[in-house]
Amino acid sequence: MGVSESYERGRNLFQSNPVGFVLGLAVLILMLDLVRQLVTGELDVARFGLVLKAGIMRGMVIGLAGIGLSLTYSILNFANFAHGDYLTSGAFAGMAVSYLVAGKFGSEANIGALLLVGTGGSVFGGALGVGVVTAPAAVLAGVVVAGVATIGLTLLVDRYVFRPIRDRSGIALLITSIGVAFVLRYLILFVFGGSKRGVTAEQPSLSVGVPGGAIEIGTHDVALFVVAAALMAGIHLLLQNTKLGKAMRAMADNEDLARVTGIPTERVVKYTWILGGGLTGVAGYMFVLWKGTLGFFDGWLLLLLVFAAVILGGIGSIYGAITGGLVIGITFSMAPIWIPSAFGRAAAFVVMIVILIAKPEGIFGGTSTA
Amino acid sequence: MSDVEAPGGVRAETTIDAWGDSLLKVRDLDAGYGDLQILSEVDVDVREGEYITVVGPNGAGKSTVMKSVFGLTTHMGGTVYFEDEDITELSPEEIITVGIGYVPQNENVFGSLTVEENLEMGAYILEEVPTEAMEAVYDRFPILRERRDQKAGNLSGGQQQMVAMGRALMLEPELLLLDEPSAGLAPDLVDDMFDRIDRINDDGTAVLMVEQNAKEALRRCDRGYVLVNGQNRYEDAGETLLNDQQVRQDFLGG
Repeated sequence: MGVSESYERGRNLFQSNPVGFVLGLAVLILMLDLVRQLVTGELDVARFGLVLKAGIMRGMVIGLAGIGLSLTYSILNFANFAHGDYLTSGAFAGMAVSYLVAGKFGSEANIGALLLVGTGGSVFGGALGVGVVTAPAAVLAGVVVAGVATIGLTLLVDRYVFRPIRDRSGIALLITSIGVAFVLRYLILFVFGGSKRGVTAEQPSLSVGVPGGAIEIGTHDVALFVVAAALMAGIHLLLQNTKLGKAMRAMADNEDLARVTGIPTERVVKYTWILGGGLTGVAGYMFVLWKGTLGFFDGWLLLLLVFAAVILGGIGSIYGAITGGLVIGITFSMAPIWIPSAFGRAAAFVVMIVILIAKPEGIFGGTSTA
Repeated sequence: MSDVEAPGGVRAETTIDAWGDSLLKVRDLDAGYGDLQILSEVDVDVREGEYITVVGPNGAGKSTVMKSVFGLTTHMGGTVYFEDEDITELSPEEIITVGIGYVPQNENVFGSLTVEENLEMGAYILEEVPTEAMEAVYDRFPILRERRDQKAGNLSGGQQQMVAMGRALMLEPELLLLDEPSAGLAPDLVDDMFDRIDRINDDGTAVLMVEQNAKEALRRCDRGYVLVNGQNRYEDAGETLLNDQQVRQDFLGG
């Protein structure tokens, strides 16, 4: 293949999809620059590994939270802004139970302080030894309660807030959900206090030696990855292979037709909240366990990234949510290699915008999978 | 057979007794959407195994009759009986269990689901997927068996119509409601579609069909209703309506 031939091909590609071409070129340049930096030692492998790992972890959290958001979006037809505070609620509910179990139900600290997740510095998770290795039962109980409590919360909110106005437009529901978000957030602030607290104890980690240092893989990195991957695989199997999953896809596809086909749509809606709420609560808990700190604003801050991931992946598709989560998470974490770290979040949104310009329906758009 | 009074707003009179053996009896039905009334005092009867067509100009309320039977409109008066049971106030979810299947006109397949999944959804209310019914659908529409694992959205219009009918047949209904089955089909496929409906009817399923393609529909059905402005106008054997000078002139383009 001659030079003129490849030039010709490049020119055709540029003409057929100029935005995609420029985007591809930009990614290529960044990747080449990354290789150059790694080879010249400007960026050591250890730091690269560290940011990549952080990106994947963040991506898994965003993806997991995004599945819940995407499910409720495609089946209930509205963008639920309370989703971020469902994450926070799950994290607080789970952590309260983890504290309770790790604090041996009040024998190691005041039971009220434990249940309020050490509000005002009364108890510290580090001192209680909250963590997968140091207190496995506490973490397990925390994960379960985070899921269950969030399911309860979503069903309660749906029953008294969303269900009465389900037939209204998506905008009415969206604005209502913003109201729900505020109520939840400030209830959490009221009950648990506003301090950002450390919640986990030091856990063992594995050091992988690489040029320029070592990449630390912590217990909670592994825990987050395993839990998120397992839940993603589970929801995939559920949607593809079970009667309920197929009905959920059918309803996402065409709600009116689902109704005349005899699918009990209200029941499917309920299961959608149960699934979405459970995933979201667990995602919130695992996120907090992984990063080691907990504050009442955590979910809200994450929500914008979750929305970015879901939109970029193609809203309505769970595979889009997972892919979008990884793209956003990795961009967020890797951007500081080139630009000041304060712009990581901005870089994630720039990537979203650029991808949407190239493919307005999102990466998996048009193939609604749930 | 019918004592329908022609124009002048006098509505067709049929008595419940005369149609005592009807599978579906629609009596004095007033229905519409929200505050908008479309149908007024509509009567329709379908006997067991009968093939009925409802024709009429655009906006006559043909599809509304069908949707009203299936519980999809706002009920304003009158009654719908199915096997002598009052089903007027039932929801679609409940109506599907009494033995009525409905094939809507537009967007009548789940495009992102496979053909087989579409059929499975038709039998959602059953505990298990009825394999015999599914085999019967595949025997009726062999092309669907070939394409069972393809997304329904990727099929041709005619094949999608088969998926929609197949889905409605999964519960082996006694009455099949078909809303414009020939709409959007290429002309050479329309005949094929009508042949398939004939065969469904021959196998014992009563059919209530709304059609734009009035001549062909009247030719094939047992009886026809002509609906104008949401009211019964004529009602007779299909061939009779087809040969009626007045009906031809007013509704069939001469």
